[in-house]
Amino acid sequence: MRSKGRRRLATLILLCATRLVAQDIALPKDSININLAKDSPVTVVGMISNESRATARGSLLVLDLHMALTFRNAGASRIHGVMLRVVSQEVTLGGKGSVTIPSMNIAPGEEFPVRIDMQLVRPTQMAGGPLVEVDLDGVLYQDLSFYGPDHLHSRRYLTACEVEAQRDREYLKRVLAQGGKEGLRREVLQIGARQQTVPLNVKVVPHGPTVTSAALPPEHPEKFALVEFPDSPVEALEGWAQVAGNEARSPNIEVRNRSGKPVKYVELGWVLSDQAGRQSVAASVPSAERDLYLPPDKTLSVRQETTLRLFSASGQPANVQKMTGFINQVEFADGKVWVPSRRNLQDPALLRAVGPSAEEQRLASLYTRGGIEALVEELKKF
Amino acid sequence: MKHPNQATLALHAGGDLGFFARRRTEKHLARCESCREELAAFEGIREALPGLSETPEIQWNLLAAEMKANIRLGLAAGECVRSGESAPRRMRLFTGARAAVALASIVALVATGVLLENSAPSRAEQRTVVQRTADGIQVGTGDQAFRLMHTGVSADEVTLSVGAQGSMGARYVDPKTGYVTINSVYAE
Repeated sequence: MRSKGRRRLATLILLCATRLVAQDIALPKDSININLAKDSPVTVVGMISNESRATARGSLLVLDLHMALTFRNAGASRIHGVMLRVVSQEVTLGGKGSVTIPSMNIAPGEEFPVRIDMQLVRPTQMAGGPLVEVDLDGVLYQDLSFYGPDHLHSRRYLTACEVEAQRDREYLKRVLAQGGKEGLRREVLQIGARQQTVPLNVKVVPHGPTVTSAALPPEHPEKFALVEFPDSPVEALEGWAQVAGNEARSPNIEVRNRSGKPVKYVELGWVLSDQAGRQSVAASVPSAERDLYLPPDKTLSVRQETTLRLFSASGQPANVQKMTGFINQVEFADGKVWVPSRRNLQDPALLRAVGPSAEEQRLASLYTRGGIEALVEELKKF
Repeated sequence: MKHPNQATLALHAGGDLGFFARRRTEKHLARCESCREELAAFEGIREALPGLSETPEIQWNLLAAEMKANIRLGLAAGECVRSGESAPRRMRLFTGARAAVALASIVALVATGVLLENSAPSRAEQRTVVQRTADGIQVGTGDQAFRLMHTGVSADEVTLSVGAQGSMGARYVDPKTGYVTINSVYAE
């Protein structure tokens, strides 16, 4: 009788303890909402999300959402890029994400898959209603025409990706014509070498300076070493940022429109180097003005109130020693986009910091999976 | 009879005992002459202390030596009193009442844990940071985080990009779809 009571007590305590340690439940289907407009040129054909789960870890709730979506091109033109906006209203106020598929070639009526794997961490219990909303932000077609609400500037982003893709395909076609398959193979292997992990990591703290640490040395203005691209429509004149230890903040770069057309967007590349000469990924510094208009021969300050923190691969702070800046993207008032040429990006100051383009990455992966013949066949499609 | 120790009596003299300890001590003092005398001695010292503090010149070393001697004397007296009493009866560790109290404590502990787990404590405002994680990128503030993952892709197959306006991108070839996929998180 007594042992039976003890067993019951032990079971009760074990159940309570289990609830405290972990809680793992499947998320209902209505946790994810896909919103497409009635006139959307893509339609949802299928969605699998049955591996999505909620897990309690201490006082936190971790939501793992795995979505395998299938869309169909319901329009009349070939799709070359898609951006989906992913928003969770309740997690991280203002925080949102996007999943972009550039370098596509989807014929009308053809289906294409998109995978979204995301994790939300929150301190509270789940509320009712969808946890995640997925919207279509934009679709780019073969002729660079565009559909979508463009909340995340997907038109400019997808157009820049497409212009880069055309640039890199043309280059690889020239390599194939001049050097044959062996020459193309060597070029693709070099793409793989540029894909190697950049030695310095960057954390971004947006909107103004961080709390000053007593461990950091005094802040001082540091000038950019500007890389000049002769064919760039916009010229970087001078620039500086405030630097203290491993933090660099508030970049400010003077640019001049030297083209004959008005410009509505300028983006600069910003590479940070430490004392050992190791470089970070190239951070982009976009012009902050929403309604920018830079007429020919006029100057403008591109600035961002943000802080970048530099860390080594092992997580140790790395002091900022040098900053390099270059014009990375220009959008004209007529919607056309300029990106640096391949020759521009061969500059030794940028070679390690600027990774391969999305198209180079796709073609290198195709070579790895299918060999040189598959790559040659792919280039012939364009 | 079990006597309260010196420290308990000294705290009682100063009114610094908790509710239950004070009730227990008072109950004991009501029927123990020797402890009442010790308590009176402590109270006498306390009454003398304000006067001492007004004395302009105090020989602290001498005073400390006297206090130590008094404490030793008190302890010795306590030992003498206890040696005259019979040894306390050996008691069982778990009686019905004690087991009930122990069980109630465990239940209270578990219930408190569940409540704490489900509550949303107020936290100090922290800055939003955009950064990479082991297998993804995230925008996070305090305990909250929004992550886009590139599960199943090794780090050297991912090209990261950083936006100074508060964004980060991770570009990789999705092994399941074969498409180049660019995940981006924004702090705007």
